[in-house]
Amino acid sequence: MDMLHTTAAVPSDQPVDVVAMPPSVNRDWLQAQPALVRRKPDASLALDFSNTTQIDSAGLALVWFLADSWERAGRRVVVRNAPEHILGMLRTWKSAAPTTVPAAAVEPNVFVRLGDAGAAFWEQCTLALSMLVEMLYWGSFGLRKRRDLRKGALGDQMYQLGFKALGIVVLLSFLIGIVLALQSALFLKAYGAGIFLAQMIGWAMIREFGPLMTAVILAGRTGSATTAEIATMSVNEEIDALRTMGINPIQFVVVPKLWAITLTMPLLSIIASAAGILGGYFVSVFYLDISSSLFWGELVKYIPFGDVSAGFIKSVAFSWLIIWIGTFYGFKVRGGAEEVGKETTASVVTAIFVIIVADAVFSFVL
Amino acid sequence: MAANTPVVQADNLVVKYGENTVLNGITTSFGAGEIRVILGTSGCGKTTFLKSAVGLVRPFSGTVKLLGREITDPDEPATQEVLKRVGVLFQGGALLGSLTVAENVALPLQMHTTLAPRIIDEMIRMKLAQVGLPHAYGLYPRELSGGMRKRAAMARALALDPPLLFCDEPSAGLDPVTSAGLDELLLRIRELLGITIVVVTHELLSIEKISDRIIFLHKGTLLFDGAFADARAIESGPIADFFARKEPSAALGAAPPQFAVENNS
Repeated sequence: MDMLHTTAAVPSDQPVDVVAMPPSVNRDWLQAQPALVRRKPDASLALDFSNTTQIDSAGLALVWFLADSWERAGRRVVVRNAPEHILGMLRTWKSAAPTTVPAAAVEPNVFVRLGDAGAAFWEQCTLALSMLVEMLYWGSFGLRKRRDLRKGALGDQMYQLGFKALGIVVLLSFLIGIVLALQSALFLKAYGAGIFLAQMIGWAMIREFGPLMTAVILAGRTGSATTAEIATMSVNEEIDALRTMGINPIQFVVVPKLWAITLTMPLLSIIASAAGILGGYFVSVFYLDISSSLFWGELVKYIPFGDVSAGFIKSVAFSWLIIWIGTFYGFKVRGGAEEVGKETTASVVTAIFVIIVADAVFSFVL
Repeated sequence: MAANTPVVQADNLVVKYGENTVLNGITTSFGAGEIRVILGTSGCGKTTFLKSAVGLVRPFSGTVKLLGREITDPDEPATQEVLKRVGVLFQGGALLGSLTVAENVALPLQMHTTLAPRIIDEMIRMKLAQVGLPHAYGLYPRELSGGMRKRAAMARALALDPPLLFCDEPSAGLDPVTSAGLDELLLRIRELLGITIVVVTHELLSIEKISDRIIFLHKGTLLFDGAFADARAIESGPIADFFARKEPSAALGAAPPQFAVENNS
């Protein structure tokens, strides 16, 4: 008896089940033999290769799988009457087969999982807060180190984050203004209160929809771009390169964006509000037959300064949230391209959610 | 820094990623003006050693001193001061994609000096000429080949005339000719500037050509610290396997399951 490994043969008094292997022990045959794979190692097993001339990697894997399972159950697998070339393949396979079965990880109980989740959440919160503090420091006191702010970076970022978003912000706000005015006009007209449309549209756009729509659009556009840019820089070791050059990456990458969005977002909000009001104006004039002078007169009369300043405060706060969240998710990336996409998506979803929550909070306090 | 102070000094350096110990008690020092090659198989901790040397990875215990100063967090001012005197060439170059080659090279000069823009411009041209890329001044990194990117990154790493240069696998992903060109460049830089160069690599030809001394890491421990010729003379063990391009048998995993073979014929 030839021993492929140092193993004892099956003692003669032990039962041995014999399985006659087909001429081709291959993937097609094995797919039709689910019972063989599920078989319990109740007795030692003899695989009879008398008729076999061919074996493929699925067949070899079957032999090793059975040998491994039977060995762990204290049984033996015997390869019987195998041609030399099949034995040769088994020997070759042997040297490359990682056969250790890792011990099954102990499933943590619900308290451990809750604790782990809590610890991870706390760690993320700490990281996010420290990033916010660092961002605000470098964006304010850190600016005294004027040499460290890239020349032209602010203008470039204002163009990228603000000007390039202008078209979509104006278009969507204009459409929102039209929809809002049309929906409201149905009721206002029924009660003969169409004249209040100017006031309502103005109030809604300046205080609510202008800043909110701009923030949502910029969260999708600027927030995702910020995350993707920082994440890609991390993956390409550019962030590490900045650190090893003694340059703080938040100061270098984030501060120009922070100032650019802080300056452009209120402007964009005002333009968005104006576009929405213009949409409402067209509905008032062409649908409710309100005169142009009456519309503008009513609008100016009922828009208090408080609403304008509330819109301004909101837009600045939203802009900081967008950059903060975008930056946080960008710096979180440690892996490759897949993680860049994942964190970018998470950044946009989180930013929109946080902006809406913040808007609800502002509705109470402003 | 005193004349005989090591340029790089690691003292019982231990680095862990979670539960996994990547570097286990590395103690070594590199002298001024030498080219020291860190080698070992993939996953042995070469790049981690480099990253912990420049503060990008925090040690679990132990210390690293560069130019006589201990390295901690790269965002801390004291470490930043040291890092201004250290050049790092990353594996992929790590040039900032939004800036031109010239702007990349200018970055450390603009950030850390008050030199006049015309002087900085002249220095950029000089550095690019040093690395053989005078024509890449206005190009963006995406317009450069792999070898050119590394040369441009080298120019940036040398911008502040550092007395110490770290190179992480400079030959990785390059054809043999370009790779040999980079080796020549490293030798020329050492000859011209007299700086200490630490190179992480596993390219045998490069090691033979450029190294004054080598350290060999194996599974996070320091197996050898000495001259290349002495390392080559070792006849057995991981170092001999490395030079013989032989996979250590221990890497093949646990013993496979066993079965008996019966041949009736």
